Amino acid sequence: MWRALAAVGALELRTRLRDGTALVIALIVPVTLATLFSVALGGDDPPLRATVGFVDLDRGEFPASVRREVMGSQELKGSVTLRDLPGRQEAQRALDDGEIGAAIVFPAGFSHSVGEGRGGDVSVLTSPESPLAGVVARAIVDRISALVDARTLAVRAVLKAGLPGDEVKELVERNGAAGPAPALEDDPLSGGKVDLSVHYGSGMAALFAFFVVGASFRGLLTERKLGTLDRMRAGPLAVWVPFAGKAAVGFALALVSVCVTWAASVLVSGATWGDPPAVFAVLLAHVLAAAAITMLVTSRVKTDAQADGVIMVVSFVMAFLGGSLVPMHSLPGVLQAAALLTPNGWTSTALTELAGSGAGLAAVAGPVAVLCAIALATGGLAVLGMKKGTLL
Amino acid sequence: MTAPEPVIAPDPASAPEPVIAPEPTSVPGHTSAPEPTPATPTPPTLSCRGLSKRYGDVHAVQDVGFDIAPGEAYGLLGPNGAGKTTTISMLVGLLRPDSGHVRVCGVDLAADPMRAKARIGYVPQEIALYPELTGRENLRFFGRLFGLPRRELAGRIDEVLDLVGLGGRADDRLKTYSGGMKRRINIGTALLHRPEVLILDEPTVGVDPQSRKAILDGVEHLVGEGMSLLYTSHYMEEVERVCDRVAIIDHGRIIAEGTRRELIALVGGADKVELSLEGDLETALAKLRAVEGVIEAAMTGATSIRLLTEGGRHLLPALITAVDGCATVTATQVIEPDLEATFLHLTGSTLRD
Repeated sequence: MWRALAAVGALELRTRLRDGTALVIALIVPVTLATLFSVALGGDDPPLRATVGFVDLDRGEFPASVRREVMGSQELKGSVTLRDLPGRQEAQRALDDGEIGAAIVFPAGFSHSVGEGRGGDVSVLTSPESPLAGVVARAIVDRISALVDARTLAVRAVLKAGLPGDEVKELVERNGAAGPAPALEDDPLSGGKVDLSVHYGSGMAALFAFFVVGASFRGLLTERKLGTLDRMRAGPLAVWVPFAGKAAVGFALALVSVCVTWAASVLVSGATWGDPPAVFAVLLAHVLAAAAITMLVTSRVKTDAQADGVIMVVSFVMAFLGGSLVPMHSLPGVLQAAALLTPNGWTSTALTELAGSGAGLAAVAGPVAVLCAIALATGGLAVLGMKKGTLL
Repeated sequence: MTAPEPVIAPDPASAPEPVIAPEPTSVPGHTSAPEPTPATPTPPTLSCRGLSKRYGDVHAVQDVGFDIAPGEAYGLLGPNGAGKTTTISMLVGLLRPDSGHVRVCGVDLAADPMRAKARIGYVPQEIALYPELTGRENLRFFGRLFGLPRRELAGRIDEVLDLVGLGGRADDRLKTYSGGMKRRINIGTALLHRPEVLILDEPTVGVDPQSRKAILDGVEHLVGEGMSLLYTSHYMEEVERVCDRVAIIDHGRIIAEGTRRELIALVGGADKVELSLEGDLETALAKLRAVEGVIEAAMTGATSIRLLTEGGRHLLPALITAVDGCATVTATQVIEPDLEATFLHLTGSTLRD
């Protein structure tokens, strides 16, 4: 059975190489378009401007030192503006209204809690519409977290040594755990390069994955028209072999396509898409979903020409709604909600998250799970349709 | 082009009894299904029973059943839309029958499709090959698909190419082949894995006379070597030439089955024998009328007599002997009734309606 599967796969690969769809659609076009878009519309870093909300319910030394550091930072000068807000709800409302791009919330008693060695939590509110502001806010909070951890550890150690509580603060600060001043030595904007080269690179990868994998499923309809599918099905091989052979090649080509577009984007523009294993997981899940959706299209149409047309329409609609062509935050609210119905929307969200925050696999587990669920649901419907249409 | 000689039917005494469904006056679509012929001593290569398939209210195939013995050529004769292709689709596992079963060399197709299909060589009605590949590449692909070992495959491909007479064009792309060449390699592809039964669905549709002759010669050769054959066509002369037994199918039902002679006998047809003679034709006419099997005799010219006989071709020696002494037979022509007439009689329509 594996020999038959290999024979179908080899023929499919050979056909795709011979008719140019493997090379042109899978590699040349997406890489070229991604590069052209990023050069024409992206180029260097876009102008970075962000307003970060600042909610100080603590009124202690930590928020005060953070404010001093941000205002004094040369890297943030002219790019980041702090806007004081009275409470968390107001910050959320301002965020929803687009008045600020992110917010940092210091809870009441934060400085006191840290001073007593009990640590504390600073909240960050972000919006997908302003990834840059989110990056800046997170960078600041990351720095605060490191300080808080160090301070908490030192205080606990001193307390355990038996020193009276009222002498702890002085001893800790005198011995190196210097005051609560987050030094923003690294450029906090460096992680904010979720620039257009990444956006268009990932967008083209997501869009062309549909075309590449769809071409293989469309090939099943061509085989049915030629009569070769029936000839195969009349032979001594399992009924799923022709389907699986083509699907495997289409899937592999689409995966190669998205990975090459990713690599080209990194090499050409120097932008990073984020943690490689996490990016690969997102792209893999996207290709799975694209495969299932194009399979569903193939199962519902009669001819290969129809399949071409419908796959093209579906791919572009998904790409548009899902932020592969236009950044999602530029779309009206209703379309942004619709983006969550498309795999491109989840892929775009996940890749933006990875590129912006430098987070790992755990940060995109949700979008990856949703993409897999889309693949499972549409794939199931597609299998039923294909059985009915004698494609499987 | 030379017209194919009609196949002389085997001795009726050794042939299975014909199965006749309807009375000549009955409506073909409402006849009862024929029972398959009695079992042959050896197990049939292909056997089906009670095959039925319906699409909505349309009964595409109803209660079809027959056996094909090893080395036997069996014809399925019927007009377009009679149910031939639907029947074949069920026989090769492309369509699941609503009822009935298929056995290939004793293997139940539904229970063990892989083993059953491995014994079938299926030649679809259309050219089911890749036009962008060469003939050899097409054969190699299907050879691998059908599990031929790599070492054996190259040699087998050459054998098949020789068999279908395309050795010289093997490395040309299929799209450059003529219609007849495509038909031949379409058949060759089904022979790669040495099937025990070859199923040909209208293999000569749209081919030139030369290719048709080559295809029929090749098929006869395969049958001569012991391969079983199921041959469907609406070309009566092809079925007559190639097949030992024939089933007439109409409106999804087999309405008659038997050897060519048996089927023709259903309509009570007599052979016409045209004799050219020299000598005393009056005396000869009287003597010929006395020969057993002669139904009627009439002088049709100064040197010719027409006879209506039963078993005209077999009667020729007796006829020549009968006129010995009074006349000399200089030429004979036997005109036998054909399946076309039988089909018309049984169905009320012609094959090409």
